[in-house]
Amino acid sequence: MRFWLAVFRQAGRNLRQTWPSQLMTLLTVSLSVLIFAFFYLVYTNMISSSQKLGDDLRLIIYLEEDPGPEMREQLRRKITNFDEVEDIIFVSRQQAYERFSEQLGPHKDVLDDIPKDFLPASIEIIPLKNLRSLNQIKLFSEYLSSLPGTLKVQYGQEWIERFYYFTKLLSIVVFLSGSLLILTTIFMVSYTIRLTIFGRQAELELLKLVGATNNYIRTPFLIEGVLQGLVGSSLGIFSLFLLYQWIISHFSGPGLLELFSFTFFSAKVIIAIICISIVLCSAGSFTSMQKFLRM
Amino acid sequence: MKDTATISNGTMVELIKVSKTYPPDIIALSNISLSIDVGEMFFVIGKSGAGKTTLLKLISNMEPPNSGLIEVAGHDFRRLRGARLAKLRQRIGVAYQDFKLLLDRTVSENISISMEVSYKQPSQIQKRVRSLLEQLQLSDKHDTITGELSRGEQQRITLARAVANSPALLLVDEPTGNLDAETTTRVMKLLNMANKSGATVVIATHDESIFRHSNRRIMELKRGRILSMQEVTPI
Repeated sequence: MRFWLAVFRQAGRNLRQTWPSQLMTLLTVSLSVLIFAFFYLVYTNMISSSQKLGDDLRLIIYLEEDPGPEMREQLRRKITNFDEVEDIIFVSRQQAYERFSEQLGPHKDVLDDIPKDFLPASIEIIPLKNLRSLNQIKLFSEYLSSLPGTLKVQYGQEWIERFYYFTKLLSIVVFLSGSLLILTTIFMVSYTIRLTIFGRQAELELLKLVGATNNYIRTPFLIEGVLQGLVGSSLGIFSLFLLYQWIISHFSGPGLLELFSFTFFSAKVIIAIICISIVLCSAGSFTSMQKFLRM
Repeated sequence: MKDTATISNGTMVELIKVSKTYPPDIIALSNISLSIDVGEMFFVIGKSGAGKTTLLKLISNMEPPNSGLIEVAGHDFRRLRGARLAKLRQRIGVAYQDFKLLLDRTVSENISISMEVSYKQPSQIQKRVRSLLEQLQLSDKHDTITGELSRGEQQRITLARAVANSPALLLVDEPTGNLDAETTTRVMKLLNMANKSGATVVIATHDESIFRHSNRRIMELKRGRILSMQEVTPI
């Protein structure tokens, strides 16, 4: 207990004496967290949107003729051999006609003079609802085109490809900004602590001479690291939340946000980001202190 | 670690054939063998450059010797690491010749430092600081920034910090160098009090006035060697 009282007093004194450099580090940590969290937020929203997109996504294979029961089983086997799917629905010419007729509603009499088998039979494939499946769709579609009796395979090719590449690009940005967060946090904190150590070399040497343990010397710097991680990341997350609120209030009309239903991080993710920042800042502080204590 | 009880009838400082050379080849101490008993007040005298300060630096483990054995309170510094080394250092109070004060801190903070590292309670620390400042006639300097004090005042603060934690061994380097006669008497009174309460005191000085009439062991150094050892005269 006395140890903790002593080291907290020491940490408070350090913070008072070196507040300009501490403030700079704090701002750098906040900014790094803000940049990373921004891209991560966009990324997670894109991922959840891709799942929603997957709910409506289906591949339609138009066939030359209605397949018999045996042919249906063969086709089902061929499809599932390539990849797992959520569901496979066979639509006969008759069913296709009835659906179309229903869709026309009061105008269905226009179909009176048209033969009931004018629409081709088809297979509707509902893929699994994940991004990997989205990535596979193009390959899947090419495979399905090669099946015997296939007239054409249809899905929202262009849109899905664009969405997929955008998500891929975002994941790279998230990875880069995450690395940037790790590097800047560790380096900034470790250099601030190193500067503090350099400025207080005489005091730290004296502490050793009067019998301070390594823990007594090290712990206040670790507390500084923990505080920088905690306050810096909280500030970063709070700034992002303000930015998010601003975006929601200014772009809440019909548009992109309507389509994607933008949401903020869950409490779990916020706690994880703060904890990781604390660990990184403490690691920066610890490495600098170890170098000094080895001297 | 041995406690004070186990060494109470023994030797506080033991040096056997200790030598120290600074680069390139300046011999600071050569083949020094010496024992200082627990509770003794011991004077080390000699002209500037005789090796007095080096001797105190070696005993306080500020610097290692090039050869020989040094034991303090029965412990060889070379064998101590981490918390055990820190614990032993807490039992040694050193008043350095160059003061080693934190000039941007207050007088109170400078004196407190040696007690803070042994986790004394703040109220206890404050009480001890005030008492020491009173004994050294520096009560009005409690909150003064140390850099604003005169050399003589800084010297007394160094001494106060050295005795603050009631050390078992007190090493004092030129304690009266910048002081007038009255203050010298006060400083010696403080050192005698520490000695009476059980501390072994080693004083390095060339101020004859503080050891001339004392009935203590006096060792004279010259060019890093023991020139003479004046033993205690039985009364």
